[in-house]
Amino acid sequence: MNAFKNLFKGRNSADEAKQRLRFVLIHDRAEIPPGVLDLIKDDIIAVISRRLPIDRNSVTVNIDVVGEENRLLVDIPLLADSRRKVDGQRRKS
Amino acid sequence: MQSVVITVTSGKGGVGKTTCSANVGCALALLQKKVIVMDGDIGLRNLDIVMGLENRIVYDAVDVIEGRCRLRQALIRDKRAPELYLLPTAQTRDKSAINPQQMVQLCDELRKDFDFILIDSPAGIEQGFHTCLAPANRVLIVTNPEVSSVRDADRVIGLVESQEKGPAHLVINRLVMSRVKRQEMLSVDDIIEVLSTEVIGIVPEDENILMSTNRGTPVALNGRSPAALAFHDIARRLTGEDVPLNTQQPTSFLQRLFGRG
Repeated sequence: MNAFKNLFKGRNSADEAKQRLRFVLIHDRAEIPPGVLDLIKDDIIAVISRRLPIDRNSVTVNIDVVGEENRLLVDIPLLADSRRKVDGQRRKS
Repeated sequence: MQSVVITVTSGKGGVGKTTCSANVGCALALLQKKVIVMDGDIGLRNLDIVMGLENRIVYDAVDVIEGRCRLRQALIRDKRAPELYLLPTAQTRDKSAINPQQMVQLCDELRKDFDFILIDSPAGIEQGFHTCLAPANRVLIVTNPEVSSVRDADRVIGLVESQEKGPAHLVINRLVMSRVKRQEMLSVDDIIEVLSTEVIGIVPEDENILMSTNRGTPVALNGRSPAALAFHDIARRLTGEDVPLNTQQPTSFLQRLFGRG
């Protein structure tokens, strides 16, 4: 029944609460307002896309706690074209 | 329209100030008013997460006061209503970061652009409360039908009146009618009698509230749950509309549909 409900309503609200809390507490503890990451993301997209074709809509910038450290985790998917190019080069070598 | 600063406070903590601020703010905005809800609880901010806007914060009210950004840069637009904004507060500072005079100045600036400025006050009767009270034109005092919060409400009503910010208006939150009927919970009339203060809203206990805070979607934005209806009634009363108060029974959607509300 629960799984059936979730199918229609997406994630249950307790899970959502937990995930939102985890996010907000990381930012509270790091003393970095969450919206700053969006600004950083825009900056990164501007810089990287000058050199490489990237999938702008799939870029993620998050703070995560790894061990005792806060880390800024940035994930930038390259566009299909550039991936093929990289693959091709690898095959030749 | 002359803009109104409404401070939402309580004395006791945990009675629903933030829920009330968020939902009344949303309800006012859905009445086509220009609304800003401001978190007045420096160092313990929560209005952002209750409204689901926590991931958009870059600057806050303390940054504005201390000149690190312009007021406009700190405002977060809530796109779920026509003209609804959040002004978050600082999470890593304390009550002394904003004094009453600065709060009045900040609100005077906001009055230029908004019809309603709702301030979610911290619990207690200390400095933070006095700072939030300073700019108020009206004060909503949230209480539960339970002895400790009613007692604390009385104390706050006294302080509000002594600061010439009265008369305060009561929001009775989390009322369970079945328990009132079984005479195991204070009734609205009991609370009115004890506090001799005008009631502006009666919000029934509603399990949808917890789920809405889990998700960061205030019930007043799209819900027809009992609490959502009560928050909409409060908003209409704040705009001057005469909405009768039902002290006997919290109204549900179905009752209203059939004209019993």
